[in-house]
Amino acid sequence: MKKPRRGTVTDELNITSMMDMFTIILVFLLKSYSTEDISVAASGDLELPVSTTMVKPKLAVNVVVSKSSITVDGSAVMALTKKPDETGKEWIAVPDEEKKGQMITRLYDRLLEKAEQAKRIAEATASEEHAFKGEILMQCDKELPFSVIREVMYTAGQAQFSNFRFVVYSSTS
Amino acid sequence: MAGKRAHIQEEPLNLVPIMNLVSILIPFLLMAAQFVTLAVIDSTLPAIGPPQEVETPPDKPPLMLSVAVTNEGFTVMGADAVLNPQGAPPSADAGPTVPCQERPCQTPQSYDYKALTDLLNQIKDEYPDDETVILVPESRIPYEVLVLLMDATREDVNKKDDKGKSRLLFPNVVIAGGAG
Repeated sequence: MKKPRRGTVTDELNITSMMDMFTIILVFLLKSYSTEDISVAASGDLELPVSTTMVKPKLAVNVVVSKSSITVDGSAVMALTKKPDETGKEWIAVPDEEKKGQMITRLYDRLLEKAEQAKRIAEATASEEHAFKGEILMQCDKELPFSVIREVMYTAGQAQFSNFRFVVYSSTS
Repeated sequence: MAGKRAHIQEEPLNLVPIMNLVSILIPFLLMAAQFVTLAVIDSTLPAIGPPQEVETPPDKPPLMLSVAVTNEGFTVMGADAVLNPQGAPPSADAGPTVPCQERPCQTPQSYDYKALTDLLNQIKDEYPDDETVILVPESRIPYEVLVLLMDATREDVNKKDDKGKSRLLFPNVVIAGGAG
């Protein structure tokens, strides 16, 4: 074998340091790996409050009330407006034409559909796990006034959902 | 001579297959990574229907603890034995039991949650079996105040037992229709 001439020696790319980096990233990502039942579509319109609770979320009908709209299980139901009060300050509110008293009619229709769907599943499977418990996950923006929350809760109550689970960011992790 | 030298020469470890594996794993794990932890707070609507029959008359009158939230602060109602030991009924214009640090409250943080938790601790000492609190917020109270209030009424994170668990105060939250 002939000794290679000095000029033609090609050094191999040293990827050891890159491997080091990847190993660290891999460990970090594996640590933060999780498969949760629910997910939050983070956006500027939806900022959940932070709480000290440690109860883990479970799958249920998902109602998202952001600053601008109401969404049920991923499909938009209606938009929210802003109404000024007597001092001129604007508050997020449900448009009057969408309401019948305190009940939000379009949201009611959608939730009733969900409730009936859940009951059909409960009947078909006849298992304790799928029984209809009237559970509803509420993801609400932290700046929403209570009047909007109350109307959504009232509507959900009318549609046979009476167990509310407010989704929050956990501060103890 | 030259051939012998080639034999003992160290082969560099071929890291390329591992690199391939890792570069596939990283995007996958990045997608499944979660950087915020979600949790839930349970709450129920006030039960509608006839009041349930109480089989045995309780020794003490039942505690109907409720906390009203206004833009002035928290008003605790229904625990007169602790709040008014002299038995004097609270006057209507007495103002909130736990007023804000500044009145009216400017931000969710200006409510005095710590003082409320301390007060509820005293009530819990008197009524150790009660677990329900009724929240009565005003229409314009932000949702964040509600969540922080539920935190304040649920447990006292500053009082831990020997297992490191916080003292439970009133974990069952019922949100009432609200005033105004």
